Amino acid sequence: MMNDDTYLGSVQDVNGTTVSVSISKDSLTGFIYIDGQGYRIGQIGSFIRIPIGFVDLFGIISQVGASSVPDSLAQSQPNGNRWMTLQLIGEAQRNGTFQRGISQYPTIGDEVHLVSEKELERIYGQPDKPYFVKLGHIANAESIPALVDVNKLITRHSAIVGTTGSGKSTTVASILNALSDNERYPSARILILDIHGEYAQALHDRAEIFKIGANRTSKYVENELFIPYWALNFDELCEISFGEFANEKDRNIVLERIQKSKEESLKKYSKKGANIDALSVDSPIPFSLNHLWYQLYLETFGTYNKSKGGKPIENLVFDVDSDGVELKGNPISGIPPIFKNVMVDAGVAAADKVNYLPNPLNLGKQLSLLGSKLRIPRYNFIFKPGKWTPDEDGKVEKDLDDLLKGWIGSKKPITILDLSGVPNDILNTIIGIVLRILYEALFWSKDLSQGGRHRPLLIVMEEAHIYLNDSFKGMASKTVQRIVKEGRKYGIGAMIVSQRPSEINSTILSQCGTFFALRLANSTDRGHITGAISDSLESLTSMLPILRTGEAIILGEAVKLPMRTIIEAPPKNRRPDSQDPIVYDEIPEEDSQNTGGWGIKMEDNPKYDELVETWRSQNPTIEKVIK
Amino acid sequence: MEREHVESSNIESIGYDSDNQTLEIAFLNGSIYQYFDVPEHIHQEMMDADSQGKYLAHQIKGHYRYSKV
Repeated sequence: MMNDDTYLGSVQDVNGTTVSVSISKDSLTGFIYIDGQGYRIGQIGSFIRIPIGFVDLFGIISQVGASSVPDSLAQSQPNGNRWMTLQLIGEAQRNGTFQRGISQYPTIGDEVHLVSEKELERIYGQPDKPYFVKLGHIANAESIPALVDVNKLITRHSAIVGTTGSGKSTTVASILNALSDNERYPSARILILDIHGEYAQALHDRAEIFKIGANRTSKYVENELFIPYWALNFDELCEISFGEFANEKDRNIVLERIQKSKEESLKKYSKKGANIDALSVDSPIPFSLNHLWYQLYLETFGTYNKSKGGKPIENLVFDVDSDGVELKGNPISGIPPIFKNVMVDAGVAAADKVNYLPNPLNLGKQLSLLGSKLRIPRYNFIFKPGKWTPDEDGKVEKDLDDLLKGWIGSKKPITILDLSGVPNDILNTIIGIVLRILYEALFWSKDLSQGGRHRPLLIVMEEAHIYLNDSFKGMASKTVQRIVKEGRKYGIGAMIVSQRPSEINSTILSQCGTFFALRLANSTDRGHITGAISDSLESLTSMLPILRTGEAIILGEAVKLPMRTIIEAPPKNRRPDSQDPIVYDEIPEEDSQNTGGWGIKMEDNPKYDELVETWRSQNPTIEKVIK
Repeated sequence: MEREHVESSNIESIGYDSDNQTLEIAFLNGSIYQYFDVPEHIHQEMMDADSQGKYLAHQIKGHYRYSKV
C-alpha cells in the first residue's frame, strides 16, 4: 500500500479535525498515474489517506492554495500556494474496513497520499448485502456503486433538496424504484404525499393510487381518496368545518354535542377497543355531522310559536314554498331550513305570533360556513366519504380498518395519495390529518405484525416547503415534527423533498439523518443545509451550486461517508411526470406528441366559456369530453 | 370511444364520434386528446393520409380546440 506514486505531501499543522498539508514538489505536476488510471491532484472534495502505523486515516480535501497556509506561517510564506487543507473523517485498519470517526490524530511530518479507485472501493464498497440499495455510482469512479443503508435511510429520516430542474424528482423516483423492488423487499411500505399528481405515471404498476375525483377512464386504476371527518380529532374537525369560535362557551357547546353524538353511536354500534367511559371527543367514532349541523342550525336560527304548549324547539315554524310545503331543509345534502319571520305585532293573533327561540345558540357564522362545505362537491371527500359516511345513528358501511388497509396495507409496496384535488385552503390541515391518522395507527399497533415497529412505513413528502413552512404554525408541520422526533421508535420514517429548504421548519430539517443535496444555487437554502448537517464537512456544501443535473452529495447516517453521486435515472417510463409545459417544441411537428405551445397556430374560435366551465365546476374536464 | 390503431411515429390510435364530431387521438407516450367539432370528412382524410402525424400537424393542430383527457 505504501506507494510513492500516490505521495502528495506531508502534514504540517493539525487543528482539531482540520489538517494543513504542504504539497511536495514532486507531486506538483498535477497529474498522477496509478494502475494506468490518471488522477488529478488537489481536487476539492477528493479523498486522501494518512497512514499511521497500522491504521489509515482518511480525509477530504476542503481547500487548496494560498489561503490554506496555516495562520502562523502566513507571514513568512505570503506566496505559499503549495498547501491544502483537509478534514479528517474516519479511519480504517490496514486492509480492514472503513469506519467513521478517528481514534488518533496525525502529527507533523506524516505522509499524505492520494486515494486510488481501488482504495475508494474499500471505503465505499459494501459487501453485497440486501440492506444496501444502489442509487447510482460515485461521481469520479464509475466502478464504485453508491450504496445507501436502507435501515438508516428510513428510520433516521431523510431530506432531498435541490433547485427545480436539478433532478430531484428523478432522485426520488430512483430511490422509490430501488426500495419497491418486490424480490428484495416483499413487504416494503411506502406512502407518497403527491401534491401535484406527478408520480402515478412513474410508479403505477407498483403503487395503489388514491385520488380525489378518481378518473375511471384513466390508464391506471385510481381509487377514490376519502378522509372521513369522524376520524379527525376535535381541533382538526373544527378547523375544516366550523372554523374559529367566537368564544370558549360556543366551542364547548359544539364539543359536548359531538361527544354526545359519538357516545350514542358507540352505544348502538359497539366497536372493539372503544368503551363509553374512555370515550373522548377526539375518539375516531362515526357520527353524523350533517344531523348535528342541522340540529344546531335549528337551535341557532329557529323561530317558534308560543301559543302551543311544550318546549319552544318542538314548535318551530318553517316557511312554506308556493306549493305549501314546509321548507324544512335537508341535513344530508346540507340544505338549511327556512323559518318564518318573527311576528310579534300587537294586531297579530296569538296563534300566528312568531318569536325567536329563547336563548338561541350563537353559532350563526360557523353553521353557515359548515353548511356551504356540506353542499360543495369538492369537500365531498371529507364530508361525504363514500361508504364511510355515517347514517344519522352512526352506522357506517365501512370502518377505519378498510381505510387504513387501503392506505398502508395493500398488496403493492407503494401508495400514492394524490392530493392535487384538495382545496388549497385546507391542504395543510388535510396533510396534517393524514399523517396523524397514520402515526396514531402505527404507534398504537407497535406490537402487531402490521404495526410500525414490525413493518416500518416510509412517508415521502413532496414539495414539503408548501406545508412544512416555518412561517405559519400549520397542522402538518406540527405532526411532521412529531414524526421526525419520535417516529423512528415506532417505525415511521419521513423523506422530505423540497426545492426551498430554507422555508422548511428547522426542527424538521435538523432531524433528518440523511441528506441528498442536489444542485442548490440559492445561498440561503445552502446555509440552511449546512446548518442542518451534523458533520464537520461544511466545506462540501460549497460544492452544491456547481453540481451537475442528476448529481447529488449524499451525506449523513445512511452512508458511511459523504458521497458525490451520479444518480442513476430510472427508465424513461418510470420517471415522474413533472415536465414543464413546452413553449416551443424541439421535436419536428410531424413527430411531436405535443399538441400545444407557442409554435403552433392558434385555433380560430377559442372558447373561453369552456375555460370558465372548468373553473366554476372545479374540475379540469369539461362536459363536452366523451367518457 | 373506440380507436383504430395506426402506424405512425407519434400516434398510437385514432377514434371518432360522429354524433359529437369529436376526434380522439392517443399518442405513443400514452396521452389521449379529444379535438372538438372536427367534421367527419377531416377524420376520413386523416385515416386515408399517408402520414397521420403530418396530417395532424398541418390540418388539425391549430385548427380545432382540444382537451387532454
